Amino acid sequence: MAAGTVSTVRTEKPRSALALPVIILAFLAAMFVWMGFTQFLNALTLGAVYALVALGYTMVYGIIELINFAHGDVFMVATFVTMFVSGTILNQKEGIYGIPQLILSLVIVFAVTISIMAIIGAVIERFAYRPLRRAPKLAPLITAIGVSFILQNIIQYLVGPYTYNVPQLFPVDWAVMVGETRVPFLNIFVITVAVSLMALLQLFISRTRTGKAMRTTSMDRDASSLMGVNIDRTIMITFLIGSGLAGAAGVIHGLYYGNTNFQVGFQSGLKAFTAAVLGGIGNTAGAALGGFIIAFVEVGAVVLGFSRWGGAVVFSLLVIFLVFRPTGLLGSHTGDRA
Amino acid sequence: MKVFNKKGFAALAAVAILAAACGGSTGGKTLTIGISLPLSGSALASAGPAQNGAELAVSEATIDGYTLAVKVLDHAVNGAHDPAQAAADMTTLVGDETVVAVVGPFNSGSAKAQIPVSSEAGLLQCSPSNTNPDLTKGDAGAALRAGRPVNYIRVATTDDIQGPAVAAYAFSQGKKSVFIVDDTEVYGKGIADAFAAKFVELGGTVVGREAADKTVTDFSAIVAKAAATNPDSFFYGGVTSSGAGLVRKAMIQAGLNVPYYGGDGIQDGNGDGSYIAVAGDASADSYSSVAAIHDIPAAADFAAKYKAKFGEDPGSYSASGYACAQIIIEAIKAAIAGGEVTRETVRAAAVMAGATYDTVLGPVGFDENGDTTQKIISLYKVENGDWVFDAQIDYAAQ
Repeated sequence: MAAGTVSTVRTEKPRSALALPVIILAFLAAMFVWMGFTQFLNALTLGAVYALVALGYTMVYGIIELINFAHGDVFMVATFVTMFVSGTILNQKEGIYGIPQLILSLVIVFAVTISIMAIIGAVIERFAYRPLRRAPKLAPLITAIGVSFILQNIIQYLVGPYTYNVPQLFPVDWAVMVGETRVPFLNIFVITVAVSLMALLQLFISRTRTGKAMRTTSMDRDASSLMGVNIDRTIMITFLIGSGLAGAAGVIHGLYYGNTNFQVGFQSGLKAFTAAVLGGIGNTAGAALGGFIIAFVEVGAVVLGFSRWGGAVVFSLLVIFLVFRPTGLLGSHTGDRA
Repeated sequence: MKVFNKKGFAALAAVAILAAACGGSTGGKTLTIGISLPLSGSALASAGPAQNGAELAVSEATIDGYTLAVKVLDHAVNGAHDPAQAAADMTTLVGDETVVAVVGPFNSGSAKAQIPVSSEAGLLQCSPSNTNPDLTKGDAGAALRAGRPVNYIRVATTDDIQGPAVAAYAFSQGKKSVFIVDDTEVYGKGIADAFAAKFVELGGTVVGREAADKTVTDFSAIVAKAAATNPDSFFYGGVTSSGAGLVRKAMIQAGLNVPYYGGDGIQDGNGDGSYIAVAGDASADSYSSVAAIHDIPAAADFAAKYKAKFGEDPGSYSASGYACAQIIIEAIKAAIAGGEVTRETVRAAAVMAGATYDTVLGPVGFDENGDTTQKIISLYKVENGDWVFDAQIDYAAQ
């Protein structure tokens, strides 16, 4: 049964597989021409952060139909873990200009933060959501809001209520001038890391046995269970991966913005959630796409001189989509949701 | 005299009721001065010194036949001032019969929530730091106190003077083109508007204006837009918690190395969560104002006794907190001299037309709206990771 469903999905794919990249490339080209290179790069960088966080929302929704409101705060905790790892453990305060040391430090920060966040995500799932697996849907939703508050208060207690500086390990002044335009390497690095992680995720979901288990679990949990899929393990892996991606987003946030505070997860979480809905909640490719679209809308609003309405523009988009296309751009019922 | 003329029948009736209600307590020995400020989290860095100043003044004062006490209430929630909590605290103070006057609040947003409550009770309130003009002036001010006599006074100069002062400061440093960002809030947008008007009037150009509310953390697009206009200076209308430091950091990261100007919203020392702490090294070449006198007449004496009591140097609004308490104590003494101490006699004494108080800030009086007649703006710049006093300008004569 499971194999059959997957093959149906495969046959549907070629149609959109060709059309979608063309539309995306056309969109990017139009944006590039309209807003200019600097703003284009700003939007891509911002979109990378939103997309990584949005993936966690959409994966969890896809598999247990829970809007995990704590996910933005998992991202927030990741920014503090990044601060701790690069500032306290690696004892760095600013950019590292030696390339071997920089690479080593970045690998350590990403590896440690992603691992810690993956574990935290799995622990939250085990103790806050798994006991409610058979409860009415409202119960885990409220629990998620509770977990969100708990995470914020833990950080306030452990670190404090202020805005703190996160060491920007990747030198922010590394850039080349292309004509009049300044191209910072940091933005290129951030976008490359984020897009690679998203590509890896797609490969994982579509090519591995665990990925297949995730897809079947999201389609029909009981049937998958009958076919021998370990449901608890599959759901836990989903949380591991989603929270790990939020961990990567946290590292990127620290490198790019150089600061964080305990409330940073709320707004980013809300934007990422909007991105997930925009792309079609439950659809991983859609979430990534949605993240970039939200970023382009925000930056576009500034370019047009609507910065005063920036937030309103983004959330109006959410309302419009919920009313006219609740399944999102790519639809939430495609087979490749996780 | 104008204040007295405004008193109608209703006010007189209210006074009579209040006098009756307070009769028992004023007959006793304790007179309490409430202190209502945001005193935890990020807010403590800026408001704490004002609290210390007020307590210092009360501890030094003696009034024959009475005992002076203070009652401190903190309206910070999650590390920032909270208008709803500020209003609730004011209700608590109104409910305490021994409270004859209040020092506070610190933020204009909280004042907007407190004034209707204190005004209804006829309770004198003195803010060390509020600068928004609409709290007192014109129709907005009259609406806030619902047409009742003035009970809210402040020793800080208002933003319709502070904003232009910063504009003149920037202009005097040779700045001709400015890019402005505000945080969309009452204080931030107000001071940015006042700054822009004066800068243009002086002959400068506003090359661009953007806004980002306090939920915005990504300023890269706004800063890129600013950089494209090639300004020789940058003004931020807002407070540190809205993103003042984040904007500065983004500017330097994008290579926009122009001087940064702001109002008293960014002059919050260099402790945890302050503008300087958040912006880090990027805070160099920043300039700000404080809507109060810096060179107070007996600065050394004040600093010495402040340090002796609290073990630290006075903050931006320490002397202002001290002055508020001094004015309240003088008003209490005037009320005693007039026969009896009630909330109404203290309030009326404080706002009496022509009254001048000899405070730590120098001579201070109040106009018909309750605004200070001392209109001095102090200007600061960042040097070696701290705010350094640069100049002060007296606008009372101008």
